[in-house]
Amino acid sequence: MLDIYFVQQIINGLSIGLVYALMAIGFTLIFGVLNVVNFAHGEVYTVGAFVGLLLITWVAPPLLVVVLAALAVGAVTGVGLERIAFKPFRRFRDEASLRSRAMREATLLSSLAASIVAREVMTLVFGAHMQTIPQAYLLQRPIAIGPLSITNGDVVIFGASLAMLAALQFMLFRTRIGLSIRAVSNSPMGARFVGIDTDRAIIATFAIGSMLGAAAGILVGLYDGTITPQMGFAPGIKAFVAMVMGGLSSIPGAVICALILGVAESVTTDFLASGWKDLVAYAFLIVTLVFFPQGIFGVGRERA
Amino acid sequence: MNAPERAGLLAPPVLKGLLAVIVFVVLPGTLLTIGGGYLFQIATTALIFVILAASLNLVTGTTGLLSLGHAGFYGIGAYTAALLSTQLGLPFLVTLPLAGLSAGIIGVLVALPTMRLVSIYFAVATLGIGEMIYVTLLNWTDFTHGPMGIRGIPSIELFGWRASSSLDEYLVVATTAVISLWALSRLTHSYYGNALRAVREDDQCANAMGLNVVRLKIEAFGISCFFAGIAGALLAHTGKFISPDQFRFSESINILAMVVVGGLGSLPGTVIGVLLLIILPEALRGAGDFRMIAVGSIMFLSILLLPKGLLGEASALDLLRRQFGEAWKSVPGSNVGWR
Amino acid sequence: MSTEPILEIRDLTRRFQGLVAVNAVSARIEAHKLIGLIGPNGAGKTTLFNLISGFITPSDGDILFEGRSLVGLKPHQIARLGIGRTFQNLRTLPNMTVFDNVSIGALAAFGHSPWQALFRGQGAVSRRINELTHEVLDQVGLSGQAGELAANLSYGRRKYLEIARALATRPKLLILDEPAAGLNDTETAKLAEFITGLVAQGMTILLVEHDMPLVMGICDRVIVLASGAKIADADPETVQRDPAVLESYLGTRDA
Repeated sequence: MLDIYFVQQIINGLSIGLVYALMAIGFTLIFGVLNVVNFAHGEVYTVGAFVGLLLITWVAPPLLVVVLAALAVGAVTGVGLERIAFKPFRRFRDEASLRSRAMREATLLSSLAASIVAREVMTLVFGAHMQTIPQAYLLQRPIAIGPLSITNGDVVIFGASLAMLAALQFMLFRTRIGLSIRAVSNSPMGARFVGIDTDRAIIATFAIGSMLGAAAGILVGLYDGTITPQMGFAPGIKAFVAMVMGGLSSIPGAVICALILGVAESVTTDFLASGWKDLVAYAFLIVTLVFFPQGIFGVGRERA
Repeated sequence: MNAPERAGLLAPPVLKGLLAVIVFVVLPGTLLTIGGGYLFQIATTALIFVILAASLNLVTGTTGLLSLGHAGFYGIGAYTAALLSTQLGLPFLVTLPLAGLSAGIIGVLVALPTMRLVSIYFAVATLGIGEMIYVTLLNWTDFTHGPMGIRGIPSIELFGWRASSSLDEYLVVATTAVISLWALSRLTHSYYGNALRAVREDDQCANAMGLNVVRLKIEAFGISCFFAGIAGALLAHTGKFISPDQFRFSESINILAMVVVGGLGSLPGTVIGVLLLIILPEALRGAGDFRMIAVGSIMFLSILLLPKGLLGEASALDLLRRQFGEAWKSVPGSNVGWR
Repeated sequence: MSTEPILEIRDLTRRFQGLVAVNAVSARIEAHKLIGLIGPNGAGKTTLFNLISGFITPSDGDILFEGRSLVGLKPHQIARLGIGRTFQNLRTLPNMTVFDNVSIGALAAFGHSPWQALFRGQGAVSRRINELTHEVLDQVGLSGQAGELAANLSYGRRKYLEIARALATRPKLLILDEPAAGLNDTETAKLAEFITGLVAQGMTILLVEHDMPLVMGICDRVIVLASGAKIADADPETVQRDPAVLESYLGTRDA
């Protein structure tokens, strides 16, 4: 007999997992194209949440507008980030240096530095304390389905995430820019030889990845009811874990692993105090890195 | 000894003596005349960070393993010292080495499974480990008092002499820092250091030359964690209070920024990096909470403009010259999968 | 005389997902000889090389060094047993000095530990590393540039640095992976002289090379690989007349 509470936890876990998945896609896209890790991705998420909050407090538009605004700002943030923290290190145009170790480590550090600055600036502007979302926008209204009680937030996150995933698939496989992203991801040099503007593809990748990240931020803000300048850190790490578990450049892998991670976290709160919840993600990370260096769904292109 | 070794600022005996005079006489004297217990506290903090940054430099600068969890081991040292002295009443002379050893042993245990990872994988693994340590410190309330931290840690005591003033504490920390720096500089400026550097430059090649790369990495990581633990013990005994927040990811980044700004692989550079990132924010204190912004900006600018920091293994000028040339071309071995 | 081989390869096979890179190759390398290993691109030379030095493990077969199996040993263990190697694409450590580069090899030969670095900085081991490094630098003629960064050496000099580093591990068998690649005729001639000099002093060398005149000119015996299999193993004159060898080369490229 399935414990109803347990099912409840799984549903909560799937919601959290979808949020991680949205972020993980950003990581995965960027990694796929440039072979770099964008450490400032968590801050894009925070930016999304704060833009949503500002909009809600100033203009109070419908929910859809808030999410669309977060998407737009996310795209702009992503492009800005790419220009500031990644572009300056892409000095060479040959394939080896585009994906060299020096490039990887320099951008790792530069995006880390960018993330510190962004987070601290947001702390300065908004204060380190929690900001609460106005009641009217909270996605915490309970909906009863038989004995289960979910919130409208769960429904919105499910709907929005699935819509965005579908849009992403469409974009990647049915549009020109999607084609160029996939081409650059396969081989930057090859893409250049067939006349693809790699720089544009890279910018598009950052824009798309950051859009999803920012949307995740505002959705979580509305779902949890509070946002802080530090909120991006933990989901950022977890999304990263999902990317690694998923095999680095596999979007379906990352999504599935993000869901596994969300559910695992949610279920552990059954057994452990919630403070230990974060340990689950880190344990997954270490186990994955040590035992499945190519990721659980790894395509085996890169190896540790 | 190894004659053509890049001498470094610390190498010539004259300079060493000069530095000792500055650290033990000139600086405390000046601070005394300006008259500030607060200034001594800053100087003490700076010295603790010198140990931390220099130990991270061994792993990240010399051996080339980007570690993002150094603050965790710093925390293990601090909590070991704090718990041993408050719970068991052990004296400083016992808690100090034990703090180093516990951090070092945990470091080696952590390193054993993760050392086969390379590049960013290793960095992320250390990040995860650092956060695991933080979560444990925060939640294991029976043992660590959780977010409340540990109060009333006894101050430094040596053979019945108690460090009662900030000057006393400064002197003890300075002595420990000098010994630690000596040890770390001995390790880096030796054939052993060459082996570590070879691991950084090209681990596959080092392996083919007969170096046990995995063992070297584990040793370097363990030693580095040992000194981080020592720094933690000093923090516990001079600050009298510790809490998990002092050992979070942001602190790891802070330490890393010092090493990056100073120049990966260079001990004098590391010391300069620490001074820059401790003293500059203190000077800016009036302007508000700009500390971490300053840290982030300095780090970003130094990565952008001085890829090897102020005094990196290859000199900054040399690098500026080569920046658009060889230095950024493909690293040997980058064609062998993820290296 | 010394017919006992220093290195013996028995039915060595390595498969990569269906592709057989090295196919049941057997060969013997006698001490104090200069053996050439040639073959068209993709013949499996580098794979064979990596199998011997332990970077990849064989799918089948055995490698015996002085009668001891190398299968399952790590590269550093194999290096310490006495097999030194160079890399085809120069793997000198650019940010380290010439001296330090060579000392890496010497270091492995004499052992090293953090303890020793801390308290025995001037001790016997350090002195021996120092002596051996200088000795090898003299031998390859790089003494004058000991303090230079490896990155600042000319391409040709870096080739010698690469060989010096391998020599500093005090190998009994030295494997050179295309040492003449990228050198002009004069430099190649000098290199040939240097290599034969090493053999004259008692070194055993396995030379993997594309430069046909070099191999045919100095090697005692030549092994030819094609498509992963050994197709010839004889003295240079016989190999040059071997129709199978000619065919394998003409079939893939002109040489």
